[in-house]
Amino acid sequence: MFNLALKNILFYKGRSITTLILTFISALMFIVYVSMMDGSHESMLKNALKVYTGSIEIYKKDYRDIGGNEYLITDVQKIEKELDKIEGIDTYTARYETYGLLSSSTQSSASLVAGVEPLKEPSMSQLKVALVEGEFLSPTSGNCLYAGVDLVKKLEAKLGDEISFVGAASDNSFAADLFKLCGTFRTGSFSFDASSAFIARAYFDELMMSHNKASYINIKVHDLNDVDTINTQISAKIDDSIESLTWKTLMKTMVDAMEVDSIFGYITISIFYVVIFFVIMIFGFINVSSRIREFGTLRCIGLSRQKIRTLLFYEIFILSSIAIMIATPIGAYIAYYYSVHPIVIDGMSEMYKDYGIISDEIPFSFNLFTITWNISVVYLLNILSILYPMAFINSFKPVEAAHHV
Amino acid sequence: MIKIQNVNKYFYKGESREVHALRDINLEIKKGEFSLFNGPSGCGKTTLLNAIGALDSVDSGEIYLGETEITGLNEDARTSLRLNEMGFVFQAYNLVPVLNVEENIGFIMKLRGFSDSEIKARVQEVASFLEIDTKLKSLPNTLSGGQQQRVAVARAVAAKPKIILADEPTANLDSKNSLKLMDMMRSLNEKEDISIVFASHDELVIDNVRRVIKLKDGALVED
Repeated sequence: MFNLALKNILFYKGRSITTLILTFISALMFIVYVSMMDGSHESMLKNALKVYTGSIEIYKKDYRDIGGNEYLITDVQKIEKELDKIEGIDTYTARYETYGLLSSSTQSSASLVAGVEPLKEPSMSQLKVALVEGEFLSPTSGNCLYAGVDLVKKLEAKLGDEISFVGAASDNSFAADLFKLCGTFRTGSFSFDASSAFIARAYFDELMMSHNKASYINIKVHDLNDVDTINTQISAKIDDSIESLTWKTLMKTMVDAMEVDSIFGYITISIFYVVIFFVIMIFGFINVSSRIREFGTLRCIGLSRQKIRTLLFYEIFILSSIAIMIATPIGAYIAYYYSVHPIVIDGMSEMYKDYGIISDEIPFSFNLFTITWNISVVYLLNILSILYPMAFINSFKPVEAAHHV
Repeated sequence: MIKIQNVNKYFYKGESREVHALRDINLEIKKGEFSLFNGPSGCGKTTLLNAIGALDSVDSGEIYLGETEITGLNEDARTSLRLNEMGFVFQAYNLVPVLNVEENIGFIMKLRGFSDSEIKARVQEVASFLEIDTKLKSLPNTLSGGQQQRVAVARAVAAKPKIILADEPTANLDSKNSLKLMDMMRSLNEKEDISIVFASHDELVIDNVRRVIKLKDGALVED
């Protein structure tokens, strides 16, 4: 049957070429499209985590829901000692965040003001490399303020200007100080750059009475795939009033958005596949219809219905295999190439800054498992496309088909 | 070898256009016979041939091929019976277009599991006999009608079936090719001792068979 199927493929060239081309395009598009979609999601996530959010963060329970000074971590050193014992943690830092009013001589803006550890922060976030003007913070930079470019723009301030801060200290007392704008940064995340400012932790703790306190402890793990395991270990070592959360929880909105985006992506490609599926099926059906007498003859001379099904299966299997064998390495190469050399669209991040896009690059994801299931779907659809023609041809009586005109 | 007992066959049974295609047919065809179902169009000759060939069912009666009751077999068993015990020759040749002459002739043998060497030897033998041995590598669509029909006969005879059923085999051939085909089939019948049953109204076939079974309106009227 296999040889006969091969001969049929070579003989009925129109159907064979059409099926080959459609299957090739389907497989190639599927691999490339999914690779691009997954790559974009991974990139969004990586960039988001890189900017400021850690892969794991430790909070006092209810800080994220209610907030306020009542929900600060009050013994940072104790937790840090436990973190030192856990493998897989690259580094960690304790941040103290508050919201207050920043004012220049002409403008005011409510902002997030955070005390960060200048020596640890560069390995945790993009704050230092996002420097645009001036300088990043140092442990001795005192009342230096490091602010996002869009916030500075709102304040109509420039480097060296005095910026006043009014807020509440960790003991809920009134806190106010005069800072000097030492540096500005741009991470690319518009909302972050328009509402965040940073001060060296040592100086800020004096002002906020926040020694050994933190809004949260930010942790960077060596391998993102180990995040759940490490999180479990951390949770086991901290007391019940403290919670350790992974990026999946911290960035739930983004994860949900990506899932929705994936669903729409798959719906889009499914519509494309339905069309391709029916085109392949129709060509298969037309081909089978033109061969009714041939199949009738085969049935008359002793081929069973099962053998006819096997013959048709081999035909679509061989065609699909050839197309997929060509499409897979090409698709995989495209996915790999663009995972290493992402497509760059100048101005894309600016255009989509409100959506959290912080890079002009569209990197692809190269994942052999994804490619495998992509081509499996194409295989499956092609095989399914021959079921109706199979049923159609086997619905004829052998003699009726053998005399079909 | 073939025993037909009280066979009746209806088309559109129970409908106003009901046709009684075979009426109480009782018949016996012995091994090695070279016989013909003859009669005008619509007399039931092809229907009877199809019933014997396990290609169509009957409404009542029994048909036996040797000890096997064909009419009682399920679809798979009928298919197997056709493959192993019967050969078919059709009016329109019905060769497999993608297979060359050699492959067409050896196709049934291959399905029945003969070895490649057995198939090759037998194909050569049959093809030589039917004078198509120079066309073994040709595709069917490059052959004349007469040659194609000889390939069909070769395919039917190659696996040495018990019986060959030929439905209007000369209908698409000119008289010269028809005569040649009938000569060859008669020779095969004698040489291979294979029963051959024709359904035809061609005078040339009537002149060349040894037994003529006449049908009219589905009934056997002369034997």
